[in-house]
Amino acid sequence: MRRHPLRMVALGVGVAVAALAVVLALQVGDDQLQAQPRSELLGDDAPDFTVTTLAGEEVSLDSLAGQAVIVNFWNSWCIPCRQEEPALREFYERHRDEADFALVGIVRDDTERAARRAVDERGIEWPMGLDPGGRAALDFGTRGQPETYAITPDGLVAGTQYGPATVEDLETLLAAARGQR
Amino acid sequence: MTRRLLPWAGLGLVVVVTLAAVLWPDGGRSDSARAHALAEELRCPECQGLSVADSSEPTSRAMRADIRDRIEAGQSDAEIRQAMVDRFGESILLRPEGGGLGLVVWGLPVAALALGGGGLVLALRRWRREPRLRATEADEKLVDQTRS
Repeated sequence: MRRHPLRMVALGVGVAVAALAVVLALQVGDDQLQAQPRSELLGDDAPDFTVTTLAGEEVSLDSLAGQAVIVNFWNSWCIPCRQEEPALREFYERHRDEADFALVGIVRDDTERAARRAVDERGIEWPMGLDPGGRAALDFGTRGQPETYAITPDGLVAGTQYGPATVEDLETLLAAARGQR
Repeated sequence: MTRRLLPWAGLGLVVVVTLAAVLWPDGGRSDSARAHALAEELRCPECQGLSVADSSEPTSRAMRADIRDRIEAGQSDAEIRQAMVDRFGESILLRPEGGGLGLVVWGLPVAALALGGGGLVLALRRWRREPRLRATEADEKLVDQTRS
């Protein structure tokens, strides 16, 4: 049978168009950023953030060197953050007296006034840093809140949690920050 | 002679301008235009299908401020894009890069166009070369009889 060159070309175009359709179909309706399961920062140096807490203290990555650090992005109006608070409270109570442990909340997309009121009303005791301009939130590549990051004593990102964390999630993050994973 | 050269001169001008635009993409643009163009290339991390330029979400505002700071600090567009990719991953780019899946997305339509164009050229040449219907021996006999 003689191969018709035009038929081969048509077949090639058809295959290319079909492949493109498959690629596009796989992308449609899929918010790649939200669906992305892991942070780009995993295994890299943690962002060199500096925040001022509601108590007026400056907290930076440098000031926490040598500690396993859990950074939790939070705000007063986010429902999942509220759902997560009991777990954070229990986790903080377990570890707050350990010398190599630090939990830092960072206010994301909220006013100082609203954050301060929520912290007072809900009895949040861990340091809560303000992030005007969203610099720290941007440097961590946050997509929303709550988001939680585990940082090793030498400043590497060892774990992340998108969405509300359970006590078990937080323990896993802490173990990762301590190199026990 | 001059008329003959004119299209070539025009073609040369187009090539030079295109090369200049590709090799010197920041040239002639103001910092704010650069910042806006970059923000249009980036996906708002908190929205569905919006660019950083079009979004009023806090992260997008912070990203726009960060882009401006980086431009002021003398970073190139590529460096600024890379800084965003380092934080958010490749999916922060609304326009895919020229590698991996991006290569497929950019490459397939071009391949389809090239194949289609090639096919069209082949078809035209073939149609010009060959008559649409071949005369059979009986047809030719009939024509000869009619002529004689």
